[in-house]
Formats: sequence, structure tokens, C-alpha cells
Amino acid sequence: MDYPNTVRCWRCAHEHPPVLFCPACQAIQLLPSQVDYFSVLGIPRSPVVNEAELTQRYYDLSRRLHPDLYQSGTAEEKEASLKNTALLNRAYRTLRDLLQRSQYWLELQGEQLGKDNNRVPPELADLVFEVQEKLAEVRELRAEGKETEVGAELARIRAELNEQMVGLRTALAENLAQWEGGRQAPKLLPGLKHLLSEIAYLRTLLRDVEKESDTQWNA
Amino acid sequence: MERIVGIDLGTTNSLIAFIDGDVPRVIPDPQTRDALLPSVVSFLADGRVIVGRQAKELAAEQPLTTIQSVKRFMGLGMEHVTTDDRRRYRFADGQGIVRFAVYGKQYTPPEVSALILRSLRERAEAYLQEPIHKVVITVPAYFNDSQRQATKDAGKLAGLEVVRLVNEPTAASLAYGLNKKEEGLIAVYDFGGGTFDISILRLHAGIFEVLSTNGNTRLGGDDLDQRLAERFLLAGLPEALQHDPRVLSSAQQAAEAAKRALSDSEEAHLTLDMPTQGIHISRTLTRREMEEAVEDIVARTLAPCHQALKDAGLAPRDIEAVVLVGGSTRMPLVRRRVGEFFGRTPLADLNPDEVVALGAAVQADTLSGRRRDMLLLDVVPLSLGIETMGGVMSRLIERNTTIPASVKEMFTTAVDDQTAVDVHVLQGERELARDCRSLARFKIPIEPQPAGVPRVEVTFMIDANGILNVTATDLRTGHERSVEVKPSYGLTDEEIERLLEESIDFAEEDVTRRLLIEARTEADSVLHGTPKALRRPAALLAEGEETRILAALQALREARAGEDYNHIRDLTEALSEVTTPFAQRIMDTSIQEALGQKRLSEL
Repeated sequence: MDYPNTVRCWRCAHEHPPVLFCPACQAIQLLPSQVDYFSVLGIPRSPVVNEAELTQRYYDLSRRLHPDLYQSGTAEEKEASLKNTALLNRAYRTLRDLLQRSQYWLELQGEQLGKDNNRVPPELADLVFEVQEKLAEVRELRAEGKETEVGAELARIRAELNEQMVGLRTALAENLAQWEGGRQAPKLLPGLKHLLSEIAYLRTLLRDVEKESDTQWNA
Repeated sequence: MERIVGIDLGTTNSLIAFIDGDVPRVIPDPQTRDALLPSVVSFLADGRVIVGRQAKELAAEQPLTTIQSVKRFMGLGMEHVTTDDRRRYRFADGQGIVRFAVYGKQYTPPEVSALILRSLRERAEAYLQEPIHKVVITVPAYFNDSQRQATKDAGKLAGLEVVRLVNEPTAASLAYGLNKKEEGLIAVYDFGGGTFDISILRLHAGIFEVLSTNGNTRLGGDDLDQRLAERFLLAGLPEALQHDPRVLSSAQQAAEAAKRALSDSEEAHLTLDMPTQGIHISRTLTRREMEEAVEDIVARTLAPCHQALKDAGLAPRDIEAVVLVGGSTRMPLVRRRVGEFFGRTPLADLNPDEVVALGAAVQADTLSGRRRDMLLLDVVPLSLGIETMGGVMSRLIERNTTIPASVKEMFTTAVDDQTAVDVHVLQGERELARDCRSLARFKIPIEPQPAGVPRVEVTFMIDANGILNVTATDLRTGHERSVEVKPSYGLTDEEIERLLEESIDFAEEDVTRRLLIEARTEADSVLHGTPKALRRPAALLAEGEETRILAALQALREARAGEDYNHIRDLTEALSEVTTPFAQRIMDTSIQEALGQKRLSEL
């Protein structure tokens, strides 16, 4: 993630590190798009975030950056406002969500979820088999017009998957809590990767269940 | 600071509003005092165009040349035109953007909408006595990119700068939130003439953050009217008459009238009287009968509500207030269903017809830089992506992402010496490209290289209007490449240019007409007021004064019948001048009378 250490203000030519507003003249500055999300929001670079603080920072920055405020501004101001706000929105969306934040943290460590992500994690094999079987039963029940039983069965499957999800999310949060900014990386990275791939798979299963439920609503 | 006004360009009615001091106000029609301008445009055989109430009255007589609910066609292509649509209007042949065929001419939906916008603009200019150039226009939250672009084009064609498109439920939440100083989670249920939207928002310290939105851009009061017309008026008629555009149009208007009446009473008359077609239907419709007939249509609004809540990660009980917007929410059945779904009585204390326009004016005030205490954070209603191998829709931006939003995607070539890469931009939630809405196609020119070598980074940026912009950069050279985006169902820039040029002659004629209308309106108010004042006791009149006033009055009456707006203005001025001393005396007397009365009562 390379970007220049200093940039020049478009208005007063003052040289400064990449920040949202020029320290000399306060004009809005176009932030390099490679700036990491923690820096965009001005919060500590850590996989554990304080949600209330995050939201407050997001609101405060939105109030200063949003294109609504630069409607009659110069072309430079409009461009900086639009692009910075888009970056801010993406940063907030990523960091406020545990899963997205974890994945982003993984990327910051130079890692990505492997291509073998489609392979069923061994711990989930039994569960996957069981859910697919039950979903097949649900479709049969639906074909027989037994909508009440379909609803009840879907609710049961969803509850079971959600329970699994709660467990995995807790484990994920525990992993993130031990990073100490990155000093514990070698110890924690493999666990983080593994948890994320389990969660990704569980989410696919949940989506399958939701699809069945949506059919119910849209009918 | 140039004034920006707010416009609600609705399916059945349109409004224009401005900020008066600190308060948003809708601008009424100078003659009828009605704030609602029916969104109806009637083209006459002699080339004249009528907009609004009179056009609506013409709909029954000239259904084929009177366009109603044009909003339903915004951003659509000819392949989206239904059989029902074809019964109502004549369309030009061909592909691409919808074109209405009227008296040998063709009009696209943005052109027809532009005529409605012009009419609103004239109204505002006459009322505010200043030219209007900048506007905020509201659109259904669930409008896709093509529909938004079409709305912006309509503004351009009306000679307006569309500073911002604002989502209707979001605009309504502004008017509501500012009025109530409300905080917390709210749902805005917006069931209008032709579209349905549901938006979930969090209101916090002046921030209006949309968490999710959903809807149906082809579901509204029109559908209810049509159902009632079919079931209670058309069902008994011979087949040929059922498809007669005049019968359809009259039946729908009759159904609409009965539906409105049934919001307040248990029974209404449903009458269709068309002697030339031999139709005489007159019956009583009860609210219960109506509700049974439209129950399923109203129920169709609940699935989007369910989805919006789910996307926001909320349950119905989390919502602290439900705000009703749009004329269709006047129906008791709608209120009951919404109330049951959210488990609380919905709020309807703001006029559901006006609240969107009022909110648009509030947002216009912010954009003009006058207001700093509130900020809208809106979302993109539908996912955006590109077509990838095998006709699959690959999502780049998920629905309900806060806008502005951007995403970068890398493109390369699959074959040696390819000179361009084709990109097909899609919007929608379905898995296959063919089930999503095609927004645009473009080619990125590339220098011939072995397959996989070129590196072109394409940035998709959704701006604060919810409209997509595309830029491409060749990463090997760092050069930004121009990308020509061809809208799938829109007007090209050249077409807009041409249409604008064609309308210049028209525009000059417009200005003259507008000034004449203004001058006449002003003349009318003094012509009306002066004779009334003359009925006061003669003692208030100086010698010869009455004769002078009557002469000035007569001169103005004659001028008003003519077409010279300068002459009308001069004589209006002259009349005011001769009546000023008289008016002053009346005023003094009134004050004395008032004081006298007060003393009497005090005794």
C-alpha cells in the first residue's frame, strides 16, 4: 500500500502528509485512495474497534466531507469531497462489521482467503450434509403445500445455523482481541484464516436457507 | 446565493416548494390555489400543449394524445412496454428508449416530463417573481440508474439545472424529522400514484442515515384504480368497449373518484356515463367491496417492507415511528395493513401529498449553502455489477451501500492483440445478467498486446444522486482513458443537445406567454379588489375620485383582454396609483373602527 508521504495542497501549495484538510489553509484535500481505512477514520490501527466511537467519527467526518456541502465549490473541492466521501463510506462499512473488518485485517497482513475456499471445512462437513438434507425435505413439504411445516422447519434450520454462527463469531472476536496491534501476528494469523473460511461457508448455507424463506414471502 | 427550489415530480401529481424564511412551503396554482399539478400532458391537434388539470380533463376525450403517468415509462426501453400500455397509447416502432407517437411526432418520457417541469417552473417564477434555474427533484428510492438519468434529462430539457436527485422517502423523512425533532429508527412507507418505496432510517443529531430501502417502481394507486375499473365497471361491457382507450381512461378516472371518496365514507357512487358508446353504469360501491378487490395489491407492499427490515438487520418492533407518504396511504385498508405489519399506529399528521416536495425544498436549502444543521446519508437501492463469463452478474456494489460509493475493477484481455474490452454494466439482485437491468455498455480501448498483458483499472463511482459514472485508467501508461458510455434506454448527450436547440424558439414564445400570464394574474387581483372597495361609504371618496378610478379600471379591463403584457402592467400600475389615497383612507377608517369597537367593549 504505497502512497506519497507528503502531498501539496491544491490551494495554498503547502506541503503536508496526506490528510483530509490542509493544515495551513483548511481546504479539503483529495486523499490518496490507498490510505488505510483506520487512517481515513482517524482511529487506532487495530482489529478491535469501539463501535460508538467509530460511528461518531463517521458522522463527524461526513458532516465535513459530504458533497452536499460543496455544491457551489470549486472543481477541486467537488472532486475531493466526492472521492473522499466514497472512501469514507467504504471504510466505515468495512470496519463496523466484524466479518468485513476481519477480512480487511487479513488483507492488511498481506493475506487473502485461499482459492480453496469452496472446499468444505472438515469441522462443518456433518452440518453441511445435514442442512442440505433438511432443505430437500423442505422442498418436498412445500410441493405438498404444507406451508406451516415449511415455516417451522426453516426456522429450526436457521436457529441451528445461527447458533453455530454465534460460536464462530465469538471465537473470531477473541482472536482479534489478542493481536496487540500486530505483534502477535504469527501466532494468530492461521487461526484467523481458518475461522473466516468456516464463517464464509456457514454464510453460504444461511443464504441457501434464506432463499427458501424468501420464496415463502414472495409467493 | 442563487435560490434552489424543490420539485416532487410524481406519477399522478407534481408539486414545487421553496423555503420561505425558514419554513418549507408549496407553491399553489395562482388561479385554482391548488398545490397539486396533475402530471398529465395533452397534445392538441393544432400543436398546442396543455399540462395539468385541464389536460386531465381532456384525458377522457383524447386518451391517445393525453399522456398520464409518464413517470412509469421513465428510463424504460420499448421491450418493457406492456400490452396494457399499448391499449392506452400509441408508440413509435423501433428499439431503445420508449417513444410515444402523437400526431405524427415522437416524444420520449423525459420530453413529456420536461413539459410538466416547465409548467411548475412557470408557476414558481410567477409566484417568487424571479427566474428559477436550479432545482432538486425527487425520485422513488427504488428508481434504478436509467430512471434517475431520465429524470435528470427531463430537467435539462426543461432548461433547469438539476442540482440533486433526492429519494422521495428520504425527502419525506427530512420534512418529518425537522418538524418533530425526532430521533431514532423510523420507517417511511411511501405508496404513491405509481410507485411504492419503503425506507428505514436512523435519525441522530441532524443526520438522516438511510439504513435500507426497497420497493416497486410499478406499483401504486394507478393499479388500484385499474383493478376497481376492471372489476366494477368494465367487466360487464362488450370486449371491444373494454379495450377502447376512451372507455379505459374514463373508467379509471371514475374508479379513482370512488376510491378517494371511500377513504372517508363507507359507500360511494361509481358512475360511468358515456352516451356515445351507449354506456350508463351507476352503482354503489362499499368500502368493503373495494377492499376485497384490492387486498392483494396492498399486500404486495409488505414483502419489500420485510426485505428492507431484514437488510437493515432489524425487526418490526425496533421501528419507533412509521411515517405514511403518498396519496394511497389515505386508504384505511393501507393504514391497517401497515399498522399490523409494524405493530404500531402509523403517523399521518403531515399532508402525505405535500411532504415529499417540502423535504425537497429543505434539501435544496442545504445544497444552496444556507442550511448546515442537517445531512442526508442515502443509499443505492439496487446492486450494481458487470456481466462476466457465462452471462453471470458479478456484483461490485451491494444494494443499500451508502452513496457516494466507488469500486475499482481491473480489466485485461483474453485474446492476443485485442484492441478493446467490452464492459456491460448491470443493476439488480438476480444472479443472471439477463434477469438484471442493463444500464450501459462501453468499450475500453486498449493497445494491442498479448492476452492478459494490458491492465486497465475501471472505477465505478455512484455519485450523491445515485447515478453511475465510469472512468478508466491504463495502468501501464497511467493515462486516463475516456469511456463512452452508451445508456441502454436513455437519451444520448447529442439527442439532448438537439432537443434543447429545437426548443429555443419555443422557449422565447414561452417567456412571452409566461409574462402575459403573470401580468394578467396581477391585473385580476386589482380588477377584483377595486370595485369591492368602491362599495364603501361615499364619504371616503374625494371629489371626482370615483370617476378617475372607474376610468382607470375600464382601461385596465380592456388591456387585459389584449396580449400586450407591458400595456397590462402599465395600466395595473396606473390603477394602483389612483386608488392609493383612497385605500389609505379605508385603512385609517378600519383602524379607527377597530379602536372604537374596542373602547365600546371595554366600557
